This record gives sequence, C-alpha cells and structure tokens, in this order.
Amino acid sequence: MNGLETTRVSSRAILWVALVLLVVLYGFPFLYMLFTSFKTPLETIAVPPTVLPSTWTIENYTSAIGRDGVVASFINSVVTAVLSTAISLVLALPAAYAVTRFRTRFGRFFIVGALVMRMVPPIVIGVPMIGIFRSLGISDTSLALAIAHATISLPLSIWLMSSFFEAVPEELEEAAKIDGASRLGALWRVVLPVTAGGIAVTAIFAFLASWNEFLFALLLTATRSQTTPIVIANFQTQFGLDWGAMTALAVLYSVPVILLALVLQRHIVAGLTAGAVKG
Amino acid sequence: MRLTDRRFAFFLMLPATVFLAVFVAWPLVQFVSDSFFDISKFAGGPRTFVGLDNYIDAFTSGDFGNAAWRTIVYTVIVVVFEFVLGLTVALIFTALGNSSRVFRTIFLYPLMIAPIVAGLLWRFLLIDNFGIVNQLLTDAHILQDPGQIQWLSDPNIALFSVAIPDIWLTTSFISLVLFAGLQNIPGDVIEAARLDGARYSTILFRIIIPLLRPVIAVALILRGIDAARAFDVILIQTNGGPQQSTETMSLLVYRTMVRFGDPGLASAMGTVYLVAMLAVSVAAILLIWRPGSENNR
Repeated sequence: MNGLETTRVSSRAILWVALVLLVVLYGFPFLYMLFTSFKTPLETIAVPPTVLPSTWTIENYTSAIGRDGVVASFINSVVTAVLSTAISLVLALPAAYAVTRFRTRFGRFFIVGALVMRMVPPIVIGVPMIGIFRSLGISDTSLALAIAHATISLPLSIWLMSSFFEAVPEELEEAAKIDGASRLGALWRVVLPVTAGGIAVTAIFAFLASWNEFLFALLLTATRSQTTPIVIANFQTQFGLDWGAMTALAVLYSVPVILLALVLQRHIVAGLTAGAVKG
Repeated sequence: MRLTDRRFAFFLMLPATVFLAVFVAWPLVQFVSDSFFDISKFAGGPRTFVGLDNYIDAFTSGDFGNAAWRTIVYTVIVVVFEFVLGLTVALIFTALGNSSRVFRTIFLYPLMIAPIVAGLLWRFLLIDNFGIVNQLLTDAHILQDPGQIQWLSDPNIALFSVAIPDIWLTTSFISLVLFAGLQNIPGDVIEAARLDGARYSTILFRIIIPLLRPVIAVALILRGIDAARAFDVILIQTNGGPQQSTETMSLLVYRTMVRFGDPGLASAMGTVYLVAMLAVSVAAILLIWRPGSENNR
C-alpha cells in the first residue's frame, strides 16, 4: 500500500463520486458516437439533437460498408499496419539490443539520434518521401506507406526495446555463452524469449502508430493503397456531410483496437510507462 | 575470424541506421535544400537557386508569425490542461489504491482511438446548430440558447476548441504515466509529513511534485512535442479556419506546399519550424528533465 492511499470512508466516497463523474464525462463522447451510428440519417442531424436513437437501425453501417473503397481501405489499413510493425521490429530488435548491451560511442549517438527523430514534424519528411517512393517504383502501395509509418514507429520501438533489454540480467547471456552459444545465438535463443512480453508491447505500439496515422497516408496514397482514416476524412467532401455513415465507419475502425486494448491492457500500461518511469 | 564486440554492435545497428538515413535523414536534407530554391508547382518543372529569398518571404509574411504564435498557444493549452487533469486523476487513482483498477482500464481506451476520429467526433459534438454539447449546456441552463457559443466558427475561441479532442485523447497518457510514477514514491516520506501535521496541499507541492519531477518532465515533453506537431485533429475540425484562426505551423506548411503549390516557401517555413522544434525540445530536455539532478527542493 502506498502512503498516498486514503482509508477514511468519507473521503473515499467523495473520490469515488468524483471519479465516476469524470469517467462519465470522459466516456460520453464515445458513447454518443456509438448511439449516433445507430440513428436514422435524418435523426443524426435533428434539431434539437437527441442522445439515444428513437429507432435503432443499422442503416448507417450497411451504407458505410457498401460505399466504394471502404472494404478495400480496411484491408489496406491492416496490411500497412502489419507490414510496418514487422519492418519496425526487425530493425529495432538488434539495434536496441546493441545499444543496451555494448554501450559503444556509436550506440550513444544512435539512441540520441532516434530520440531526435521523434521531434521531426511528419510534414517535413512526408513531401520528399513522395519523390523517393516514385523513384523506387512503389508509389501508392501499402509497402511505401508501411515504410513511412516505420519512420515513426522505429524510433519509438528502439526506445521501448532498450528499456526492456536493460532489465535482462547480463549473467543470462554469459551462461549461454559458456554453454557454447555465439553472441547471435545468445540473443536469439536466450534474450529474445525472455523479452517476449516487451516485444509484444512494442508491436502493439508500432501497430497502433500505423493504424491511426493520417498525414503520411494523405500524402503518399491515392486510390490503390488508401487507408480507412483517409476514407473517413473524405466522407465530408465527397458525399456531403453524412454524419451517420461517418460515425458508423469510425466505430467500426475503433472496435478492433479497443478489443486489442481489452485483451492486452496490462502490456499496454507497461509500454506507456516503460520509457518515462525508471525509479 | 571473430568480430570484436564493437564491430558486432555496429553490425546490429547497421540496418536500422541505413533505414533511418534513407527514409528520414535523406528526406530531411532534400527538404532543407528545397528551401533555397524557387520551385515550380509541377513535378519536373524548373528549379532556380534563390538563396535566402524564401526565408525572407516567410519572415515578412504575417501568416508565418501568426502560425508560429498559434502553435505555441495550442501547445501550451494542451499541455497545461492535460497536466492538471492528468495529475488530478492520477492522485485520485492513487488515493483509491487497487480498487481503482477498472477505471484505469477505461482510461486506456481514448489512447487507442485515431486522432482523425476524435477530431471528427468533437466537430460533431460542437457543431453550431445540432451539436449535443451546446444542447446539454442549454438544458442545464448554463447557456440561454444552443447558438450562444460557436465553438468552431468563432475565431476568438476556435483555437481553444480544436484543442479539446487532443486533450480528450491523451490526458489518459499523462494520468497513467504519473500514476506509475506515484507508485514509486516511498510511503514513509508521506507518512512522516502527515505526522508532522502537513496539509495535503503542502504534501502535494513540497513532496509529491518535486519527487515526480523527472516523470512529469518526460510526460510533458513527449506530449508537448506531439501537440506542437498536431495536424490531423485540426485539419479535420476546421481546416485551419475560421479566418486562419486555427492555422498552426503544420497546417501552414501543408497548405503552402499542397494548396498554394509553393514548395520552396513551404520548405523554408518547414525548416524554421523543424529547427525551432529541435532547439526547444533539446532545451526542454536539458533544463527540465535534468537527469540525475538533486538540487530541486
């Protein structure tokens, strides 16, 4: 128990009320979006607005899914996020390991460089990327967008993985090496299995970074590799303001990651706090 | 032949280094070099070296200074609100101990939602004629009629309104990080202060905040960097309007580049923006974070 925990019944009651109020306020926007997605198109823009739908309908969902490019954009989002997570992990794991284990001058330079890259506004590198991907012949592909997303998630992954590798006792590898394993073998067979939890956390964050990203997707994709955030944003210009279908699609797009959070909540908290809290 | 440890480490870092060099450093170099050219808006069009002309144009245009100022205001609004709300929630969580667990889980969800969805949702909630927020405020007799506050179309308050979804989305990050930090504060220190008769406010400002300083610094710096780069949340809500009142640096660079088709000028603006971001972040890290410093009581 922490010294800051209160045991007085009256103060606990007050704090509970405050917390419940906060959560209700906090959760309301999302619930309102959920309710709106089940209203009829006419009711979504009714004056005065209603909280609960007067008639529940899935009309918005069928119309959102039925639109050109919506299903394809979902597939693109999944493919891009998986690809960029893979790129990020494959590059980050050895690099982060080298940084934490060997502490060379290049390693220090490297980790500071990764931190600096977090501060670069995406708009600055997004535009030149258009030209780079064109000359590589991969314009408007999920691979190009995945690479762009990896420029965001790779520094983050290196940063996260370094803090997880730091927690692995060096004796573990020493023991493996005495048993005849090479350095690479010790990394592959001893260190990586021990840090599996950390790798999972890093993968979730890399996946989320790509799944929710908008600016690179806006600059680098046209019709072929468009992801769902772009489609959601396009609803307002292309079809007028169809709030019902827009909220339905937004709900559909948020459900997978909310389920992910539900299953992996403990890992996510570990990842959020790994970089920031160290004793 | 066996590699030395140093070489081995170098080879492990090599792929990531090459990747970052090709896809981050190289675009950066191109972007900065573009700022010294006058570039046609058509791909493959003429490119003439103009020295610092683009920079002079940027600094003499009112838009640039205004956008820089708005970016600072936006960042300060986001960071201050998130810190106050986030710390309050973290302290409540801590005071309630283990029983607050379910609520800590609920606080995770906003972090999963795409900024574009959050921006859109709040635009819908705050919309002038059929927005639910003004309706509820009217029902509660805080407003006389739902049209009284024009959150996103009144240039005087729009910059504040567009920050709401950002605050809504990521206050949880601050709460959860500060909560984790609070768990590391030794209980006997608090206990001793309480036995000496210290008030809660004294404990908060004299003990908790100073001890949490490193955690607070990291959380605020990370959030500050993100807020200063905010793009999608603002674009989807107001597209920089009304009357450019929400046009921050990211949006200005984007519009100059894509809408007005002046890559040279956009690059000069972006380069100043980039240098400022790096300078401010490095200064913040050195001044506020101060890893290992003990001289703050």
